[in-house]
This record gives sequence, structure tokens and C-alpha cells, in this order.
Amino acid sequence: MRIEKCYFCSGPVYPGHGMMFVRNDCKVFRFCKSKCHKNFKKKRNPRKTRWTKAFRKSAGKELTVDNSLEFEKRRNIPVKYNRVLWNKTVEAMKKVENIKQKRQARFILNRLKKGKELEKAEDIKEVKKNIHLIKAPHAGEARKLEEKMVQKLAEDVEMDD
Amino acid sequence: MASPLSSFPRIAVCAVACSRTFSVSAAAPAVQKLTRVRVVDNSPLGNTPYHRPPKVIHVYTKNGVGKMGDTVLLAIKGQKKKALIVGQKMPGERMTPRFDSNNVVLLEDNGNPTGTRIKAPIPTHLRRLEGDHSKLLAIAQRFV
Repeated sequence: MRIEKCYFCSGPVYPGHGMMFVRNDCKVFRFCKSKCHKNFKKKRNPRKTRWTKAFRKSAGKELTVDNSLEFEKRRNIPVKYNRVLWNKTVEAMKKVENIKQKRQARFILNRLKKGKELEKAEDIKEVKKNIHLIKAPHAGEARKLEEKMVQKLAEDVEMDD
Repeated sequence: MASPLSSFPRIAVCAVACSRTFSVSAAAPAVQKLTRVRVVDNSPLGNTPYHRPPKVIHVYTKNGVGKMGDTVLLAIKGQKKKALIVGQKMPGERMTPRFDSNNVVLLEDNGNPTGTRIKAPIPTHLRRLEGDHSKLLAIAQRFV
């Protein structure tokens, strides 16, 4: 029993779910649900359909190159059965899954940080532009002038001394 | 009807002699009398080009509908030949693959396959025919 990958959305296809289609060039396509199958029949390119993993990876929205993703690649060389290896592999799988999820989350977080900075700059710009809605244009100028005059007087007094 | 479509996944029906002709139809019918089929083994009878595609003339079931694993009688190159359906365009049972064409493997009268190799993928649920057509399953190269 093996959990396959959907050709269109790259999601997991569990046993008892989805559909398999064999094309005349002997290429096998597995689909996780009829949504993917129907899109396939409409000849849509998964790399251009925004909700698929294929699009997200090709558009750089998700982690593509990473050591933790190497474990998922299919190996065509069978490994001789060894109980210890089997048990260790199961434990390793759990750890790797954990690490992978953290790394993927971190990647997306870093990607979205830029947005936060841009947002802040935008907000500052907006406030500066529309400051007249909050503060009257000549609001504190009289007081500032007074303070300046006081300061100048103080300096003059110091110089005289 | 014979309008050539681009590569993805169907191939056009040619008017003149062409070895791989199969129908491009909108519906997904099961195999019955007069359906055109595609021979997938490497037998000379199946692979030599002829101006007419192999057609089903009789289906060996109670109703005249042939599904995956049924034997049929074909008319190929002016001869009658038995064959086994190994892939159908119509969606079958759950958990069985759907093929892009109605694939068929030629058989002798005693049930042995005519060709020596089957390159096209054969569905694994045909393994229930282990008794009658074990030789056919033995020459299959790829199971799907």
C-alpha cells in the first residue's frame, strides 16, 4: 500500500480515494478528487493553476530546495528488510516531518515579513500625506515661535554674561 | 470526425492505412459489437497496418456488453480472432484504472496469447483471471 501523489494538486491520494487514468503513451495519472480530474480533462496546466502545489513551488511561494524534502523522493532500489532499520526509519520519519513543517512555516513567515515592512512604510506615507485631517496646518507654530524667542533671549543673556 | 487534435492525449483517426487507429468519440461506451479496438500486444496480426481498424463482432457475455477481462471476437484483416479486453475507456469498478482507449490482446482459440509481449500497462485486478489467462499475465510487462 502506498500513498500516491495527485498529479494535479500534489496532494496525497489515500487508498480507496480518487481515480487513476492511463494515457496511451503508458503514462499513469493519479487524481485525489474529481476537482483535479476535471481540471486535467479541461487541459489546465497545474503549474498555472494557482491553488496547486506545483504553482506555489514554481512561483517561489513555498520551500523547494531543502534537505528535509530529499526524504520524500522516490528511490527505485529496494532495501533489504532489517527490523532495526525499519523501526529506526519510522522514528526518523516522525522527526523529519516535524522539521520539515517547521522549515516550511519559517520560509513562508520570512516571505511575508517583507510585506509587513512595506505596509509600515505605506502607513507612514499615508499619515504624512493626510496629516491635515488630524492636525491643523498652523497648529503649533505660535508656540514654537515663542519657544525659539525664549531660547534666543536665554542665549543672548548667556553671551552678555 | 477525423480532425487531428494536438498531442494531449488523443491521436487522430487517419483516413489511409495506419496501424494505430482508434476512435475519438465524445461518450465513453463499453465494448460491444462494432466497436473499434486497439491491439496492444506485439503479434504480427495486430501490428501490420490494414485499411480498416479491428472491430468487435461478438462479445462472449450474457449481455452483449464487454467489460475488462471479457473475451470478444474481432474481425482483423478479414479474419476472425478472439481477444481479451485489457483496458476500457468507460469507467469500470472503483479502484480500477481507466484507459484512454479500448485495449485488447489477441488470443488463440485455446486461450493462449498470440503475441509474445504486452508493453501496454495491464490493470492488476485482472489477476483474478490467473486460471484461464495466466500466460497472458505472464507476458505482460507492466501492471498498473
